[in-house]
Amino acid sequence: MIRKFVLLAALGTMLTLPATGPAQPAAAALLDMPFDRIEEQSRGSQVRWYMFGGWAHVNDWVDSYVAGEMKKRWGIDLVRVPMDAGVFVNKLLNEKAAGKRTGTIDLLWINGENFKNARKAGLLFGPFAAKLPNVQRYVDPESVAFDFGYPVDGYEAPYGRAQFVFETDTARIDTPPQTTATLKAWIRANPGRFTYPQPPDFTGSAFIRQVLYAVTGGHEQYLNGWDPDLFARKAPLLWNWLNEIEPFLWQKGRTYPKDSAVLDTLFSRGEVAFGMSYHPPHAQNKIFEGSYPDTVRTFVLKDGSIYNTHFTAIPFNSPNKAGAMVLANFLISVDAQLSKYNPVNWGDFPALDPDRLTPEQRNQFQSVDLGPATLGSDQLDPVAVPEIPSAYLEALEQGWKTHVLDN
Amino acid sequence: MSWTTNLLARLSPLLLPYLVLFCGGVFLTVCQSLGVLTPLPYEGGLLDAYARILGEPSFFSSFGFSLWVAAASAAIAVIAGTLLAYRVWQLPRRLAGAALIYKIPLILPHIAVAFVVLVFWSRSGILASVCHALGLIQSMQAFPNVLYSGWGLGMILAYSLKGAPFAMLLVLALLARFDIRQIQTAAMLGASGTRIFFTIVLPRLAPAVHTAFIILFLYSFGAFDIPYILSESRPGMLSIHVYNLYFKHDLVRRPEAMAILTLMFAFAVLFIVVYSKAVRRLENGVRKL
Repeated sequence: MIRKFVLLAALGTMLTLPATGPAQPAAAALLDMPFDRIEEQSRGSQVRWYMFGGWAHVNDWVDSYVAGEMKKRWGIDLVRVPMDAGVFVNKLLNEKAAGKRTGTIDLLWINGENFKNARKAGLLFGPFAAKLPNVQRYVDPESVAFDFGYPVDGYEAPYGRAQFVFETDTARIDTPPQTTATLKAWIRANPGRFTYPQPPDFTGSAFIRQVLYAVTGGHEQYLNGWDPDLFARKAPLLWNWLNEIEPFLWQKGRTYPKDSAVLDTLFSRGEVAFGMSYHPPHAQNKIFEGSYPDTVRTFVLKDGSIYNTHFTAIPFNSPNKAGAMVLANFLISVDAQLSKYNPVNWGDFPALDPDRLTPEQRNQFQSVDLGPATLGSDQLDPVAVPEIPSAYLEALEQGWKTHVLDN
Repeated sequence: MSWTTNLLARLSPLLLPYLVLFCGGVFLTVCQSLGVLTPLPYEGGLLDAYARILGEPSFFSSFGFSLWVAAASAAIAVIAGTLLAYRVWQLPRRLAGAALIYKIPLILPHIAVAFVVLVFWSRSGILASVCHALGLIQSMQAFPNVLYSGWGLGMILAYSLKGAPFAMLLVLALLARFDIRQIQTAAMLGASGTRIFFTIVLPRLAPAVHTAFIILFLYSFGAFDIPYILSESRPGMLSIHVYNLYFKHDLVRRPEAMAILTLMFAFAVLFIVVYSKAVRRLENGVRKL
């Protein structure tokens, strides 16, 4: 019996022994190597990019445009692997625990909590971002210093920008609410026609953060890091707001859509009057896809709409870090950002600093037709507010469960 | 080499994967629930995660709700499966082949069955359309709100659909060896069909019925796929709660996810022990034929 336990314990330890020893010498050398030598080294290799795979149009863009250009310019074979960020972070955690020095992932599409988790657990290679020529040339370092309040420190390279928007069908709703207060009045006057995805869903969680800003006097107070007293004082205002609309939500608020895809379906069937997305071109993409009517338009609330930057990062055990850096550099190039900005491809907003572009390049971005459903930066920028530090995010998601769902 | 060592050595191709994968997994889960061997250094005490979970009233409502869904769906599946198996077994030989269609849900994945339920039973689904077309209901919205009733009816339906053929399979295997002369004798002595089923057939089928119940009950208690499609927000199923804690929250909360898994595992073991004890006690009171 005892022997069995010893055996078990030994096996357990074997499974979970942390990977020790120095990092691969080649990886460290990579950070001192000039970028053209990195490009040289990656020529003809394979890069495996793990990314969220839930958007068909984004997958198409990666498989056709990005893969095509990578092949043409560097002879690199790009393999896109669809996987949710939470899942690949766990995969890397397990690989790290098992001491697997050579993994299967070269590049990640990541941000927010997942970045913080990965960084804290030592899952990322870097700092590499400042080495990328396109980051040096086109990115304002200030704008990417923090990711949900967590210091980036060069462990991820910017890839795109997103901002929270609402969607409505102008054939059904003439004038959508302009502020958080009028939204509440609308919900109470139109029972059953509004809902939001259940946090910790990404979109639903962003919705409650935005309401928090609106009902507690703005975002500035939260940006200096986690303050438990402030949270304890302010959060109840949010819970009240959400509980006051709950009986007037879809299904009388007894249940919430599991994720934003379910909300999209409810919205497209007309069961609810408003959709929401953290991606400004989402409605336009859905119109192109044929799942939303042409009359759908996007709007933002005057009291603030959260924006964030999304990034790419390289795992500690990536077998092809050179190739991953070349891909990350290409993704933040003017060409790739421009192609990505086109709503026919995706419509994701560029993470470049317009002031660092040549007038000609700026013109190219300005002449992209975003489509009638997407708001331009003239409407988005004035209401843009930054993301909250991730400690608040976690507390809000937990608090939502305790004070709204289980209440 | 002693006899046991020899036996262990010969069993090792089976034992090793079992020890490494299953026991290793359970071991790691328990460790992480205590805050040991977690991906991030854990600052709380050994039982902090358990204290936090057990301090949340919603944990108990989720636990109770998961039990309800599991018990209701396993009971429906076993009862329906047993009765259907008995009927199929009684069919004339030429029809028995056609009855094989009962195996179709067995090869469908759980997630597919969940979608079948979703497509048929939602208010904009096939059944609502048919009822509306037949004039049984005034509008599609008048169709009963099966999927959002707060009782987990959608999940129970899906699990029952998936579980009934499984129970049939186990019961039919026993029936194949059943001595039909016992029934004929009982019938000659004037026993009714119901009496025959309950006094003669059912006690023979009991082992299969109990096994099917335990397997189906524990599966639906802990499984994730069907709740992922069909569950409601409140009360939530435990498996969804664990999934959210594991994948969608801060790594600091990993011990909580693991503590729930450990409690679910402990419950499963306890359930099997208590259930088999209870069954044994019941059967001791039954006259053996």
